Amino acid sequence: MPSYKLYYFHGRGRAEPARLMLAAAGLPYEDVRIEFERWPEYKPKMPMGQAPVLDVDGTMICQSVAIARFIAKESGLAGKTNMEQARADMMVDGFGDMVNKMADYVWYEPDEAKKAEKKKTFYDTTLPEFLGYFEKLLVANNGGDFFVGDGLTHADVFFLSLSDDITAEKPDVLGPYPKLAALAERIKTYPGIKEWLAKRPKTPW
Amino acid sequence: MPTYKLTYLEFQGLAEPARLLFAAGGMKYEDVRLKREQWLELKPRSPTGHLPILEVDGTVIGESRAVWRLIAKEVGMAGKTLLEQARADMIVDSIFGDLTPDLAFFWEEDENKKKELKQKFVEKTLPTLARFEKLASAEGYFVGNSMSWADVYCFYFIDVVNKLIPGEHLKGYASLKRVVDNVSSNPGIAKWLKARPETPF
Repeated sequence: MPSYKLYYFHGRGRAEPARLMLAAAGLPYEDVRIEFERWPEYKPKMPMGQAPVLDVDGTMICQSVAIARFIAKESGLAGKTNMEQARADMMVDGFGDMVNKMADYVWYEPDEAKKAEKKKTFYDTTLPEFLGYFEKLLVANNGGDFFVGDGLTHADVFFLSLSDDITAEKPDVLGPYPKLAALAERIKTYPGIKEWLAKRPKTPW
Repeated sequence: MPTYKLTYLEFQGLAEPARLLFAAGGMKYEDVRLKREQWLELKPRSPTGHLPILEVDGTVIGESRAVWRLIAKEVGMAGKTLLEQARADMIVDSIFGDLTPDLAFFWEEDENKKKELKQKFVEKTLPTLARFEKLASAEGYFVGNSMSWADVYCFYFIDVVNKLIPGEHLKGYASLKRVVDNVSSNPGIAKWLKARPETPF
C-alpha cells in the first residue's frame, strides 16, 4: 500500500474534502499541518508553490479537487463508469462555482458595507439558484440517496464540506431542499467520516 | 459507438477544448451552437445552468472540466495511471482556476477598466506561465511522454491569449512551445484548426 502525506495548514479550508475522502476510504495518511511561519520552507518543494498537496510515495499532486478525485478513484469511490465519474465531477465543479461566489465576499471583499451587501445577495439569490439545480440533480438519481450511482462518491463528500460552511453561516439554509439536507446528515454518519468528524481538530475555518 | 452532442454558444469559448479533444480522437459529434436567447430558454432544464453541456446517448453532463475530462477519457488522453490522471487534473485545474478567469477583461464594457484589466493580465497573470514551463517536459508533455488533455487545454489557453493579445507570449518557454507545437501538429487537431469557425472569443 502506498504511503500518503497530506500537506496543508491548520484548518479545514481546501484540504477538508481530501481528508473526508481519505476517511471514507479508510486510508491512513500523515495529516501534515504547516504553521504559516514555516510555509516558506515547504513552498518551493510543492509542484506549484501551493497547498494542499498529496504526496503519494514521493509523487506530489496539488489542486484540492484533483487530490480528492485521486483518492476517490484509488478507493473505488469516484463512480463506476466514465459517465458516472463525469456526473460526480460535474457536481463537484458545480459546488466549486458556488464556493467561488461565496469566497468572493468572505475572502476578497475588504469593504465591510459591500461585504454585507454581497453576502445578502449570495444568500437571497445566488445560493437558492445553485441549490435548486443541485436538489434537482440529486433527486434525479433514483430519488436522491447519493448524487451518483448507488453509493458514496466524491460528489457527496464535497457536498458535505460545502453544506458545513453554508449551514455554519445560516443553519436553516437547506430547509427548502429536503433531499440535500438529508444527504448531508446521512454522509456525516458514513463509516470513517463519522469518526473523523468526531476527532478532527476544531478550527475556525 | 455512443452518439455525442456538444452544446454551447456561437463561440470557441469553453467548448473549444472539447472540440479539440474530439478532433484529436477523430470522433464524430454534433456541434450545436446556440444563440443567447435559445440558451436562456434551455438553461433551467440544463444540469447546472451553465454551458457547455455534453449529451452521450442521452445522458447529459454539464460543467466544462467534467465534459473535457470525459471526452479525454473516451479518446484515451486522460493519463495512463491514476497518478498520471491526477497530474493532468492538477495542470488543468491550475490553468482554469488561476489564469483563465483573468481573461474576463475581454468582456469588460468600461473602456478604461478594460485597459487596466488587460494590462494587469499581461503584467501579473501571464508571468504565471513560468510555473507551467517547469511542469512540462522538454519533449512538450505535461503528463508522461504522450499528449494528454492537459497539453490540449494549455494549447487552448495560449491560443485564446494570442487571439486577444497578439504577441510573443512564450518567449523563453521552450517546453511550452513544444507543448503548443505537439498539439497543433496532431493530425486531427491540425485539420480542425484549419476548418473551425473563427470567433472573437
